[in-house]
Amino acid sequence: MTPPIPAIHEIWVYLSGSPLLALILTLSAYQLGVMAYERSGRNPIANPVLIAIVLVAVSITAIDMPYAKYFEGAQFVHFLLGTATVALAVPVYKGLVALRGRVFPMLAALLAGGATSIVVAVGLAKLLGADAAIVGGFWAKSVTAPIAMGIAERSLLSPTLTAVFAVSTGILGAILVRVTMDTLGMKSWWQRGFALGVAAHGIGTSRAFSVHPEAGTYASLGMGLHGVLGAVLIPVAVRFVA
Amino acid sequence: MIAGLVQILLFQGLGELVAKFFLPLIPGPVVGLVLLVAWLRWRGSVPATLDGVATAFAQNLGLLFIPAAVGVVMYWPQLRSHAFAIAAALVASVVATMAVTALVLRALAKEPAE
Repeated sequence: MTPPIPAIHEIWVYLSGSPLLALILTLSAYQLGVMAYERSGRNPIANPVLIAIVLVAVSITAIDMPYAKYFEGAQFVHFLLGTATVALAVPVYKGLVALRGRVFPMLAALLAGGATSIVVAVGLAKLLGADAAIVGGFWAKSVTAPIAMGIAERSLLSPTLTAVFAVSTGILGAILVRVTMDTLGMKSWWQRGFALGVAAHGIGTSRAFSVHPEAGTYASLGMGLHGVLGAVLIPVAVRFVA
Repeated sequence: MIAGLVQILLFQGLGELVAKFFLPLIPGPVVGLVLLVAWLRWRGSVPATLDGVATAFAQNLGLLFIPAAVGVVMYWPQLRSHAFAIAAALVASVVATMAVTALVLRALAKEPAE
């Protein structure tokens, strides 16, 4: 009745009561994802974030840990999203310094692209009969995930669905960019990069950097500008339409 | 490294305050981002420590949205029953967005294609 060493389930009770378990799960899943991504020769399909999400989701389901419980621990990672958003100021500043003279075409392209993203995604999802919560998740999905989630929270849309759709969009953009751009006969790297950054934010940007540095710089600028403009315009658009 | 982190946190705090009192619809960190860009423009360069912290964040941005995205487990049944609509909307919109952005850019940029 009085075991000298604590039984395994007591250690378990202790661990799952502290944030430690959720943090270990999150970070090790991400680490595994990064390793798999490197091992695959940086294939966009082996996206480290996607792998990590699947691993964590499967793990907490397997050990019967409610999502709210997991999030209680993982919120320390989640909190840094805001800080990371502010840090995007650095690539945006560097891009603004580099772009002189291209401001107008870029802003016009960004507005056209951002509007296209919303109209096609929200429109098609509605047309195909997705329910309101899911349709809501499409509004900000081309905006970089940390900002997209902030927009969703303030517009009373689901931040979770927005994050999931944003990650999926990033992965799809990174996979489909080559065939799309080649089909259109786009030759200049800065234009290809900017388009990828606008459509597929952070994941697209890291893809752009791995293909060509100029594409990467303009992709991060596209992502940053889309984040700022999206944060201003999308809540207004949601209010008018929804 | 700490100096850079302090600068970012200060601008984050400032952004939250400005957003709370003046711009309630815009997320605080976005306001912080804009203020930090303005400060960098005024300063004319990026401090090395700030650059280091920003690069570290940019390289591991993906890690930070895992906790929220795992919430997908709660939406699983709903997502599965609408799988086709979701996949179609995601694929069509990302291709259309890239295409429209690129075409507008090419049409408006005066310089000859490199």
